[in-house]
Amino acid sequence: MRRTAPLLAAVILVLATLSACGGGSPGSSNSGPKKIDITFSGSSVTPNGEKVEVGVGQKIELHVKADAPGEIHVHSTPEQELQYDQGTTDLTLTIDKPGLVDVESHALEKTILQLEVR
Amino acid sequence: MSPLAQAGGLSLHGIGGAKDLPISPELAIAGAVAALTVSFTVLALAWRKPRYDEVERGRLTGIRAPLEVPAVVAVLRVFGVVVFLYAAVAGVLGKDLLTNPIFGMFYVWWWVGLPLLSVLLGPVWRAISPARTINLVFAKVSGGDQDRGLFDYPARLGYWPAALGLFAFVWMELVYPYSTELGSVRLWCSVYVALMLIGGALFGSSFYERGDPFEVYSTLAGKLSIWGSRDGRVVVRSPLAGLATVEAAPGLVGVVAVLFGSTAFDSFRDSIRWVSFVQGTDRSPYLMNNLGLLGFCLGVGVIFAIGTMASGVEPGFRRTTLPNLFAHSVVPIVIGYIVAHYLTFWFETGQQTLIQASDPLSDGSNYLGTGNWSVNYWLSLHPTLLADLKVVSVVTGHVLGVISAHDRAVKLLPKRHQLTGQLPLLFAMVAFTVGGLYLLFAA
Repeated sequence: MRRTAPLLAAVILVLATLSACGGGSPGSSNSGPKKIDITFSGSSVTPNGEKVEVGVGQKIELHVKADAPGEIHVHSTPEQELQYDQGTTDLTLTIDKPGLVDVESHALEKTILQLEVR
Repeated sequence: MSPLAQAGGLSLHGIGGAKDLPISPELAIAGAVAALTVSFTVLALAWRKPRYDEVERGRLTGIRAPLEVPAVVAVLRVFGVVVFLYAAVAGVLGKDLLTNPIFGMFYVWWWVGLPLLSVLLGPVWRAISPARTINLVFAKVSGGDQDRGLFDYPARLGYWPAALGLFAFVWMELVYPYSTELGSVRLWCSVYVALMLIGGALFGSSFYERGDPFEVYSTLAGKLSIWGSRDGRVVVRSPLAGLATVEAAPGLVGVVAVLFGSTAFDSFRDSIRWVSFVQGTDRSPYLMNNLGLLGFCLGVGVIFAIGTMASGVEPGFRRTTLPNLFAHSVVPIVIGYIVAHYLTFWFETGQQTLIQASDPLSDGSNYLGTGNWSVNYWLSLHPTLLADLKVVSVVTGHVLGVISAHDRAVKLLPKRHQLTGQLPLLFAMVAFTVGGLYLLFAA
């Protein structure tokens, strides 16, 4: 262990320095609502697995156009389920913790969005 | 919601909500640079004579080894059986709801909690395993010896049964579309218990050391703990000394390849690239996930086998024995990556499971008094610290892995190949670590 301890210390030092340089960029939490269009048509949906950055607590507005009613599953903690109708539906949600949140249609077995919440 | 929709098509979302944010590119690069630097520093500066061997080394304490105290052994066995029966009640009599604690007990406590606990305390599963306990009771009742079965365990089989069992678990977790249905978990557990009892009857309790996937996993993780025992006393040792006592046998490479490959695949299948690729083709997602999981596990095994076998050896030394003789050195890399990958999941869904465990039949009871606790999301709320912890964990695992591989190399390889002979393995390890960091960054 005599030689491994200084090695470990060096690694931690390098990491600490570099992660400090990397610095946290300020979140975009209070910069107005994030608007996202979602279109369901038959067995397809757009977007088809797209990454979207949002802030913690930022209002997210989903503008849903669909040819049949259904529901969207938001895999935040805790999970949220949002119903939409045939035609257009406006849904709003917020996410209160940082993380990666999948937005899915379970009926289509597809991931629509991946929200990167910072 | 129909149970089919609940199971989800592509990804296991039954338990655990949001996932971790990706680590920043700066941090990923810092980790990779640290891993590279340390690797070559170890190669250049570390000792040239082996320091560790199969003997339990370390500083002897005055404390009696807990597993030599009959009362402690009995308490641990009873604890294992009680938790097992509690889970069985939830699994057999409980409702097919995601709030049934069986899912968290199965996927979080057992799969993630057990190895983490083993890193802290040593090989926990062999002390609490209900299969071992039942085997022991059978032996007591029939007046036989619990260690001996009808046959001797064939040495050729080695760790392969455990590698297959571990693969069956990760397949269920990551590929099987109905992984969060009660029937699936119940069936998996029944087959597991049945196989363990048959194995114990045929080969005695020594079967569990090679054939029980959870005992093998827990024992490997436990080698990283600072606790050992010698002459009935507790020993405090370096994790490197612990690692050197891993018993090499056929299939050890299979075990580490399944553990590392499956965890990497779990990160990869969440990446937006894989998701949009699978959703963009007409092929069935089920087939793609099967191929993905198998590909990752085989890939890890093949890279490691090449990395070890490409070394120079004495004439007459069989190269094919090298992968298993070095496989112990991947264990810390696996554990470091598993900690990084699962820490939040274990901490948050693990708490959730403790809360749900108070109501195993989903009828509103609060048997354990934990039912009205709430989950502490401290880790998720500190994403920068979490990202740092992950990278430190991956790099620490890498450092321990490289040092233990070096120590084995100076023991096994002929003098003129001791340094150059390590290079292919070093590249394989750097590939694993950098690959792991890339997945933490890109997922």
